Amino acid sequence: MKLALRSNSNNAITNIFKKREFGIFIFVLALFLTFGSLQPRFFRSDNLWAILSSVGILMIVGAGQTLVIVTRNIDLSVGSTLGLAAMSVGMIARSHPNFPTIGLLLISLVVGGFCGFINGLLVSFGKIPSIIATLGTLAVFRGAIFVLSNNVQIDPNDVPKKIINLGVTSPIWVPWLLIFAFLAISGVGFLSRRTLAGKRIYAIGSNPEGAISRGLAFNRITITVFVILGALAGLGGVMYMARYATINPADVGRGLEFDVISAVVIGGTNIFGGSGSALGTALGCLLIGILSNGLTVVGVSPFYKTCATGILILAAVTLDNLVRKKQEQNFLQEIRKQRVSK
Amino acid sequence: MASVRNSRFRIPGHLIGPISIFVVAMAYGSIGSPYFLNPTSLIFNTGRYVEIGLIALALTLVIINGDIDLSVASNLAASAAVMAKLFSHGVPIYLCCLAAIATGLFLGFLNGFIVIKFGLPSLVVTLATLALYRGLAQVMLGDQVVSDYPESFIGMDQRMLISAGPGLPIPLALFIVVAIIFYFVLHRSNFGLLNVMSGSNASASKFSGIKVDNVRLTAFATSGLICGICAIMMTSRLGVTISNVGLGVELLAITVVVLGGTDIFGGRGSISGTVIALFAIMAVRESLVIQDVNGQVQDAAIGLLLILTVLVPRMRASYIEQRNRKKRFNESQSKAGTH
Repeated sequence: MKLALRSNSNNAITNIFKKREFGIFIFVLALFLTFGSLQPRFFRSDNLWAILSSVGILMIVGAGQTLVIVTRNIDLSVGSTLGLAAMSVGMIARSHPNFPTIGLLLISLVVGGFCGFINGLLVSFGKIPSIIATLGTLAVFRGAIFVLSNNVQIDPNDVPKKIINLGVTSPIWVPWLLIFAFLAISGVGFLSRRTLAGKRIYAIGSNPEGAISRGLAFNRITITVFVILGALAGLGGVMYMARYATINPADVGRGLEFDVISAVVIGGTNIFGGSGSALGTALGCLLIGILSNGLTVVGVSPFYKTCATGILILAAVTLDNLVRKKQEQNFLQEIRKQRVSK
Repeated sequence: MASVRNSRFRIPGHLIGPISIFVVAMAYGSIGSPYFLNPTSLIFNTGRYVEIGLIALALTLVIINGDIDLSVASNLAASAAVMAKLFSHGVPIYLCCLAAIATGLFLGFLNGFIVIKFGLPSLVVTLATLALYRGLAQVMLGDQVVSDYPESFIGMDQRMLISAGPGLPIPLALFIVVAIIFYFVLHRSNFGLLNVMSGSNASASKFSGIKVDNVRLTAFATSGLICGICAIMMTSRLGVTISNVGLGVELLAITVVVLGGTDIFGGRGSISGTVIALFAIMAVRESLVIQDVNGQVQDAAIGLLLILTVLVPRMRASYIEQRNRKKRFNESQSKAGTH
């Protein structure tokens, strides 16, 4: 089993060029250099940090969404889940200013995980298509934020300094926000590439009937994936609090689902499941961040940003589709060659 | 029970959910205020929902085809922006309206073209155009607010086509006409059958000589056309145009379609379901408004109802299946015992 999990090629360098993520990496690099050559200020270290922190939340949630999309599901409720976790943590922080930060983080994970658990139950045991179930919970969780907060927003002076510091500092030079983003991406990457559980997640996505007849616990894996996404969205809630310091019941996390799904799709994850990677998603998030920041630095009117994101998604998906077709052709040719030589 | 089953008129299974929601919401609303059931005010309130309803009708067609169009609200905004831009440059209003319809049609067609030409999933393409079309609206309008539409144009939702009795506002009349057209197209014409067939099994339909691509393209273009029409209606109702007009309408419209029993994966659905679901959602909203409930909680209630309408029949079906299986198992056991 261990052998099967490893990549079967011994030449690491040629392997990198064959990877699907390589195409998107070139895309990121090209965009990065273009903006830099247009406006050298783009390369200044504080600007680069700004780009990274602007996509931190997107990366944390995107890592989870990648897993969900790999299993042929989709979660539209991430924005509301993030908001619910942020609001509950914010309210605790407001009433108990000395609550330990680690406790707040744990609570956010639990609240988010619970939301994900509900989604998972509806999708697996309820047999509701995930797009419908999470369209419903998108509204339900948003309503829960309102009921919980009684439509009172959390003000910046109610958010403890320790939480705000998560977005700026840490013991090791990089802010906590980015450390968490890195952990989320690498954690999901490790889970999907190096563990049996990850292989099962991909198996469900690429061939559900086969996975069931092979005896995989379909419902349990689906729920787990949704819980992971929910917990990560909950963590994203604390990061939202750290970054924006204000939690408005109507605004928090609104529309996040589209950004996250865009990032995942740009990163080369197949929307019909079965393939995709956390690394690709991270690159997708970076691409969105670079585009958004670069346009501002170069001096393009902010009104062009949304337009550019749309074109970016289309370009990335079309390119990815071409690469995929090419790879399939190469694969078929190789098989043919092998047959001929036999 | 048997008499109900044999009677000529039976409510189709997928309509039971929305109809019961409608009835309960109406009852709840009339508890809140004795004036709730006043037909004049009820009909007057439809103005805000008619646009969502029209978009939902078009989306029913798209979803039956096995596709989805997330870009409807952005398409609406882009069409409205074209209209506003032309108007602010002094173009007469009826030409602006034509331009809005043309823009909507073109953008819808573009969606279909990209989906079919490049073989990409419609969910992804329309997610991209959701951003792209909204971006176009933002580029065109910026932070500009266009108003000063002529008196003869604004307030279409308050003008009556028939003023006798409770009255019939123009948007509602338009909705009824469009719904009837869609009903005949989808359920009583060849083209509707082609839609259902290409939605239920695209490759089989292709092999039996159906031009699946053309059918899908027509559905997308129709959806765009309706968005253009809705842009005019919304501009007329609001009297102003800003770049974020209609934000979030796509999710509401999809909710209406799914609540009406249309299969999100295509191949099954009905116009009657969508129409009844629209009125059910309207009843829920209005009854909660009269009980003084916040807008987000109204959305939450609709979300919960959406989940329940899909969940309950599935649970019931799986329960019945389990019971039957148990019964069959017991029968086979007792048979084995007698031998």
